[in-house]
Amino acid sequence: MPADIVGRNNVKIFGTGTQPMLFAHGFGCDQHMWRFVAPAFASEYKIVTFDYVGAGKSDLAAYDPARYASLDGYAEDVLDIVHALDLHDVIFVGHSVSSMIGVLAANREPERFARLVMIGPSPRYVNDGTEYVGGFERSDIEGLLETMDRNYVGWANFLAPAIMKNPERPELGAELTESFCSTDPIIARLFAKTTFFSDNRADLPRVRVPALVLQCSEDIIAPTSVGEYVHARTPGSTLRMMQATGHCPHMSAPEETIALIREYLQPAAVA
Amino acid sequence: MSGELLDRLPCGVVSFDDRGTIVAVNATLATMLGYDRAELAGRQMETLLTVAGRIFLQTHLFPLVRLHGRAEELFVLFRHKDGSEVGTLLNAARHERDGGAVTDCAIMEVRERRKFEDALVRAKQAAEAANAALRDRTREVEHANELLEQQTVELELQQQQLQDSTAELEAQGEEMAAINEELLKRSQDLEHARTVAEDANQAKSQFLAVMSHELRTPLNAIGGYAQLIDLGVHGPVTDAQREALGRIVRSQRHLLSLINEVLNLARIESGHVEYATEDFALAEAVDAVMPMVEPQIAAAGLTSGSSVASDIVARADREKTQQILINLLTNALKFTPSGGRISVTARRDGEGHVVLDITDSGIGIPAEKLESVFAPFVQVDVGHTRKREGSGLGLAISRDLARGMGGDLRARSELGRGSTFSLLLPRA
Repeated sequence: MPADIVGRNNVKIFGTGTQPMLFAHGFGCDQHMWRFVAPAFASEYKIVTFDYVGAGKSDLAAYDPARYASLDGYAEDVLDIVHALDLHDVIFVGHSVSSMIGVLAANREPERFARLVMIGPSPRYVNDGTEYVGGFERSDIEGLLETMDRNYVGWANFLAPAIMKNPERPELGAELTESFCSTDPIIARLFAKTTFFSDNRADLPRVRVPALVLQCSEDIIAPTSVGEYVHARTPGSTLRMMQATGHCPHMSAPEETIALIREYLQPAAVA
Repeated sequence: MSGELLDRLPCGVVSFDDRGTIVAVNATLATMLGYDRAELAGRQMETLLTVAGRIFLQTHLFPLVRLHGRAEELFVLFRHKDGSEVGTLLNAARHERDGGAVTDCAIMEVRERRKFEDALVRAKQAAEAANAALRDRTREVEHANELLEQQTVELELQQQQLQDSTAELEAQGEEMAAINEELLKRSQDLEHARTVAEDANQAKSQFLAVMSHELRTPLNAIGGYAQLIDLGVHGPVTDAQREALGRIVRSQRHLLSLINEVLNLARIESGHVEYATEDFALAEAVDAVMPMVEPQIAAAGLTSGSSVASDIVARADREKTQQILINLLTNALKFTPSGGRISVTARRDGEGHVVLDITDSGIGIPAEKLESVFAPFVQVDVGHTRKREGSGLGLAISRDLARGMGGDLRARSELGRGSTFSLLLPRA
């Protein structure tokens, strides 16, 4: 069974520490998005990265539209991995939608988790009348789906270029032969819907695990007001505003991201 | 490349850093989006995109460029200064330059091509949908056909089995008769006769087992599958098919009840019935049974009533008494025309019995046929009545059960005025 889960979710383990740090990627990419951040923790922690079913090199045959129609199915992926590797005291690091997936997983089995690190979390992306501003209207999400369709339908190897034409191979060298963020177009479309039409506001007050919210400045996907909302509704959470802009600080500003996570995990060292 | 050449290029060019801040832009892109070039430098890249374009930038374009170093032929929705959408095709490459990382993009507007692509995508989707629909329909039809064939085969098989079993039944009936005769005739050879009887009994038990499994199981399958088809589970059902399915189900039910009754009768006759004797008030048995048959009685346009004193107590098997009562009430129901009445009363006779009388105002039974109604498979045919459902075993079973409990079942009737069936049971 563990072997099945490891293969299904393309689980990678490295690092020389004992306490596990479980890195969960967001919508649109795969575990490679952690390559600028995760290695920094390898000497202190046991690093676990993985691809959700449907992303990266996961087993596409394991994709079940019913299971993954809600974020609960993705939270089950996380718990499956936690069980398969028998992880305890898990520091869960989730980007974007994975923040809420982490919340769901930690609410189901809080005893397994020591910390939640949420990078650019949003409990609901779509505005809800006058009650809540997520930043998007449904029509915006429809527009995203159309853009995805247009990019996926046009040619098959989008996001998985077989041959890199650039002889310079900027910065990544031989690794370019590997394709990052490859994804099955149909699954990606369903994941987009599951993600952007999710509503996990009610799950926040139930969190029993200490959580760090990393909020980028000028993040259009998870605006600052949303980060503050997550912080306000999540008991025992810490909010850190980042210099980094955009929605992917772990890729655009890995140093700052690493520093803030490290600071949170080792408060004694800071004081 | 000189700035002059860049500005003359027939495609938009923009460079932005990892924070998304625009560090350079050419005149072509500014014109494409309705801006002065001076307005664009220092702006955030995503302010030039539609909302959908921004999400796509953050979730796809940026990670792709950051991890792969480049991205090609992406469809990205920009937003013109006047608010309108500008669909573009975008190539991007990330470089280290001047001590920092910048992403350079070449952008071409796609207008006519986009329309063409739209049409193409729509045509493709329509073709795929049509294909899928066609595949589904074909599969459904094939499946329905298979199922029908399968069920036809099953039905034929079961018909054959039924015929075989009937023949076997007849054969064994004859055998039994012969054995009985032999038993009487050769009473001095008791030992031998007993052996023969034991063999026969075993054959009969075996037959009972065969009967219950080989016939009832497939019969249930026939009914079940017919219902599934009727529910439309295996595809649409035409009216003609539905009518045929109705016939199958009705026949199946009839056959099933027939077999059940044959089995009951055989079981009783072979002495395999156990009686759980207890003392109970007849009123209780009547009260338990009436609600079960009252709806049918009402539906047949009949009235009913019971009057049973609570101190009339029988010593018998309560369940079997109720079963007999149901048989008698159902029987009365079948042979009483609309507007008639069925009543249940109780009394004690002078021979140590309690008696339940089930009286109907039905068609009645001719005197010469009064006794034969208790013989198996007999329904009294009085010519002018509608065809009666049922096996004709109900009364035979009921009398056997009554006698098994130390009681009896008797009938009296007046043709055209109605009948009374009296169930006698030992008094407590």
